[in-house]
Parts: sequence; C-alpha cells; structure tokens
Amino acid sequence: MLPFIIRRFFHLIPTFIGATLLAFVISQLVPGDFLTQKALEPDVRPETIDRLRQQFGLDLPWPVQYGKWIWNIVRGDLGMSFDSNQPVINVVRRPIQNSMYLVILSIVLLYAVAIPLGVYSAVRQYSIGDQVVSVVSYFGLAIPNFFFAQVLILGIFVTRSWTREAFGFNELLLPVAQMTSSNYLDLSPLRKFLDILWHMLMPAFVVATAGMAGFTRVLRAQMLEVLGSDFIRTARAKGLGHQTVTYKHALRNAVIPFIAGIGGLLPGLIGGAGLVEVVVSWPGITPTFLQALSRQDIYVVLGLLVVSSILLMIGNLISDLLLAVVDPRIRYH
Amino acid sequence: MAEDPSATTFSVTDAGEPLSQRSKSQAQIIWEQFRKHEAALIGGGILIIMYLMTALAGFIAPYGLNEYRRFPVTAFHPPSKIHWFDPETKRLAKPFVYVTTAERDPVTRQRVYREQPQEGEYPIRFFVRRPEHSYKILGLFRSDLKLFGVDEPARLFLWGTNNLGKDLFSRVLFGGQISLTIGLLAVWVSLFLGLLLGGVAGFYGGRIDDLIMRLVEIFDAIPGLFLLIVLASLLKDPRNPLAQAFGLKMTSAETFLMVVIVLGLVGWGGLARTIRSLILSIREQDYAQAAKALGASESRILWRHLLPATASYVIVVLTLAIPGFILAETGLSFIGLGPSEVDSASWGLLLRDATARGISIQFVPWLLLPGIPIFLAVLSWNLVGDGLRDAFDPKKRR
Repeated sequence: MLPFIIRRFFHLIPTFIGATLLAFVISQLVPGDFLTQKALEPDVRPETIDRLRQQFGLDLPWPVQYGKWIWNIVRGDLGMSFDSNQPVINVVRRPIQNSMYLVILSIVLLYAVAIPLGVYSAVRQYSIGDQVVSVVSYFGLAIPNFFFAQVLILGIFVTRSWTREAFGFNELLLPVAQMTSSNYLDLSPLRKFLDILWHMLMPAFVVATAGMAGFTRVLRAQMLEVLGSDFIRTARAKGLGHQTVTYKHALRNAVIPFIAGIGGLLPGLIGGAGLVEVVVSWPGITPTFLQALSRQDIYVVLGLLVVSSILLMIGNLISDLLLAVVDPRIRYH
Repeated sequence: MAEDPSATTFSVTDAGEPLSQRSKSQAQIIWEQFRKHEAALIGGGILIIMYLMTALAGFIAPYGLNEYRRFPVTAFHPPSKIHWFDPETKRLAKPFVYVTTAERDPVTRQRVYREQPQEGEYPIRFFVRRPEHSYKILGLFRSDLKLFGVDEPARLFLWGTNNLGKDLFSRVLFGGQISLTIGLLAVWVSLFLGLLLGGVAGFYGGRIDDLIMRLVEIFDAIPGLFLLIVLASLLKDPRNPLAQAFGLKMTSAETFLMVVIVLGLVGWGGLARTIRSLILSIREQDYAQAAKALGASESRILWRHLLPATASYVIVVLTLAIPGFILAETGLSFIGLGPSEVDSASWGLLLRDATARGISIQFVPWLLLPGIPIFLAVLSWNLVGDGLRDAFDPKKRR
C-alpha cells in the first residue's frame, strides 16, 4: 500500500507543474496588468508605477516570473496581492474557509437525504415513490443552481408577506443573503456558530440538491445490481430479515463507490457552490475570485487556482486510497 | 418433448424461399426503440417547439429585442393582465388589455401600474404589421408581420418588462437564439478535440498516450468553473492575443464564437478519456485484429473500424453533454462573462437583471421567468439523451 501512495504522490508532481504553468500562461495572456489600471488614477506618479513594477517583478520575462512564483509556492508563499497590498494567503484564507463551511454542510445534507432515497427507490423499484424520486431527480439535474437559489429567495419573501397578513409575523423564514447577521460581533461564540449555520441552510440546500439528483440515481442502480446478486439470495434463504439484508448486506456494498467519491466531492462542490455564493452574497471563494479577476489582481487569482487545484488533486488521491481500503477486490501492485 | 419430424422437414424447405421482409437497418431499430421511450419523445417534442420558436423569434415576439418606450414609462411593468370577459355583458369576449399608467404606491414607494378602463379596450390582434419594426428570420427573410400585438398606446407584456421597460417575453425568445445554439456548437468543438486526441491516444498508445492523458489530467486539475471564468474573461477582452492575431474587434458574433471555443476547450477532457478507453478495448477485438492481419493501413483501421464502433456511444455522450454546455453558458452570462452584449441577450444575462443592485425580487418576481426555458431545455436534452442511450443499448431492447 505504501509504495502505491508514494508512487501516486510523485505522479501528481508533473500534473501540478502543468496545471500551475497553464494557469500562469493564461494569466499572462490577459492584456495589461494591475498597474496599467493603477496608472490611470490621477494621483499616481509614473515613478511610483515603475517602482511597483520592479517591486512585484512585473518587468521580468514571464518564464522568470513563473519560476520565482512556483518556487515561492513550494515554500508556502502565494505572493502579494496588488490590490490590498498584503500576502495572498491572508486574502484567500477566509473565503476558502467560508466556502468549506458551505460545502461540508451541503455534503452532510446530500448524504442524509440521498442515501435513504436511493435505497428506497431500489427496494421499491417501479413503485409510485420510486417514480416520484426519479422525476424529482430529473428536475434537480435540470434546474441551474443560481436560478434555484433565486427562486428560493423569492419564495422566502412571499412567505413573509403571507405570514405578515395572516399572523402579523414580519420576519424572514431564513436569511437570504450574507453569512452573518448585522449584530454578529456582539454574539457569544455559540450564538455566532448558530448564526452562521442559520445563514448557511438555504445555500447549502441548493448546493446539495445539485448533487442529490445524480447521487440518488447512481445509488439506486448500484443497489439494484447488488440486490440481484447471489449472496443476497443466500442471505434471504438463510432467513435473515428484510432490514438486515437491505442495510447490512446490500447497502454496504452499494455505497462503496460513494465512500471512494468523498475525496472527489469536496473540491467538486466548491466549484458547484460557485454561482450560489454570488446569488446570496456568501463571502466565499467564487466572489473573491471574480473580484480579483476584474481588478487584475493576478496573484490572488493564481493563488485561488493553485489552492483549489491542490484540493482537487488531494481529493482524487484520497478517493483512490479509500477505494483501495474499502473494496478488498482492488489490489495495487 | 416429442419432436414432430414433419415440422423439421417443413422448416428446411421453407428456408429456401426468399424472405418477403427485408431485415431492419440499425437506424430503424434505434428509432423504434426510441419511440417507445415516452419521456424522451416528450423531451424531443419540447425541444423542437423551443428551437422553432427561437428561430421564428422575430415573428412570434411582439416587440424587438431592445425596443422600449421612454414615455409613458413601462419600466418594471408586471405581466399584462389579459381580460377574457366583456366588463358590461360579462360574456366571453375577444381577449383585450387596458392601457396602464404608472403610479407610486404610497406605502412601499414601489412603482405600480394601474389599468385605465375609461381609455377603452385594446383587443389582442393577430398577424399585425409593424412596418417600423421589421426583422429578419434566420438572417434571410425580411418581414414586418407579427404573430400578435395590440394597438398603441396600449402595450402587451406577456412576461412583464425589465428595468428599461423592454418586453421580457420578446427578449427570452431572442435570447434563446444564443442559449439554445451555443450548446450545439460547443459540443462540436469538444467532439473534435475529444475524438482526435482520445482516438490518437487509444490507437497509438505508448508515449503519445501518456502525453495526451497527462494533458487531460492537467485540464482536470483546475476546477472547471474557474477555468471557464478565466478563459472567458481573457477571450472577451478585445486586446486578447487571439483577437490581435486575427484582427478581431470582438463584435457580438466574435464574442459568441469565443465563448463557444472556451466551453469546448473546458469540456473535451472527459470525452477524450472515454473515447480512448473505448478504442483500447475495440482495438483488441477480433475484427480489428483481422483487418490488421489482412494488411489494412493504420488510418483505415482507425477510421473504418475503430471510430465507427464508438459512434453510438459518442452520440449519447454528446446529447448528454449539450445540457451541460447550456448550463455553463447561462452561468457565465449570469456573472456577466457570457456572449451577450447589448444587441443580444442570453437567458443567463436576463436572470442577472433579477440580482441587480437595488432590486427586491418580491416586487418584480417576473424577472425570474427566463429560468423556466433554461430548465425546460436542459430537462428535455437530458430526457432525449437518456432515451437515446436506452435505444442504443441492446440489453434494454423492448
């Protein structure tokens, strides 16, 4: 096992270099740089621009810039943000954390809902419930995330106008924007945690539904395959109960690909949370990315690309390892 | 079971006669199977209607894409109320609308539109001519005939209007020309790259295979959304290297092409991977080996034997990729990086209006209506793709 891990790890290095090089080249192709925007400001002298250009190394040829940058990354330094004049790591840390919260909650929601649904529709194949699940899955696949979030926001507002007329209750059912309430700083730590959780519910639900549709369909197919196999018949013939057969025998085998998929899910959902974050003004990775891009804050853009691609590669590595651990049929030589 | 010898003899003599019925071609079998898939047929029907409607957008849309009136104001007009009953006789009448005028709601300070019945009823008329607003269908036929409309000063807004008072229903129809075609075009870019690189990797193997698969991995290592955003924002800039090399001015048509290329570039990896593995397995099959033994050239084996064998699979994968491209384009447009500018408006850009600064969606809920055609198009393409997959799969024959 250990040689396999080491080999897989070394296999990642050229991919990582290739991905960073690709990102860097694309960022270099963008016409102009942060300083061309800065030079347009009336109170900035040309000498200042030249000094800044030297300070950030923007006057060097790009292969040299890439070499310097990648060497700094290996040492854990993502460079400086032009725009806020502080290390990139400080600029991107909070957004990445915030996106992570959202993604983790949505994964929990995803598993909590999709596993029972998948099992149900496999055990009761072709029942009305199964058909409802499959129709809802199709809808979930077809509705764009950002649109779904917008519809939910509208729904929350409409509910408020109903409750206001019916009970005089003039509060929103769930918060529809931002990550914290306005009085967040005055709250106790526990209340702070609950406040963020409260704000996360709607966007996390939206992100979870996107994955839920595919997840339920695949789990259903997996369950059906396992339920049709010989050892299930043997288990039933031995007189084991329905519950035991379904959950202990079948489900454990059917979820193997999903356990392995956890690694791939994490970074995947960060990308998936993307536009939802924009809709609900969640201070996450995507809004930060868009802002940095529009201000040509190249090292923040590159920093986010690098961090997310590292997450992606680690996630895939974890998937492979988990698959080897969970499924005894897979052997690596 | 007792065999009847006469029956055996009978069937032997029978075999000598010519078959009265020709055997079905592959395409006929697929079509028969596909027809049994009800959901796929419904999806296909919806798609045909949607593509027809957007192709005939100029005829069906009562107003132009950017047509609006400064005075009297029509900004944020809710969907027009169509009256079916005559107010006096209470009988079913020819559908009509009233002229509306803007007022401020004293409590919410929102603009509201009140109907003015005293100014008379304006019936919805069909096949009206609007000489001052002619249009071209598919860029070929010029006409000024509109499917329906009402006389001025009344206006007919089926889906309401946006912040400038442009008719949303008309904009959705014109927007479909972008949102519905972009997926179809991007899929060809992906197909070209995927087929070429995946086919070469699977066929030649060795070094070339390693190199191409490494390239796929590199593209995979950058999250798709971010790659899409960076590439789109790069290529939309008129100063980008590609535009400079070819002397492009980034008109809306050129931006559209750029977004097609970006979508295709981000989406080819998965296709290349599946085609490679298909080729790898087919290459070892007897008929491919036989062709090789007979001295067929490499390109003949690849083009005549290997790639056609992947065709059914590729068609399914492509059909299921189109909704993904549609979603990606609407997403890009939603954050303002799509192909839409002033003279075109994709569905994503229309939804972007609903999140603009200072807009409270509860007062202008109709701005979310452009999401419905996105939903329908993606759903239908998925249904058709699933139907095709089942039709091509011999194990699922019914």
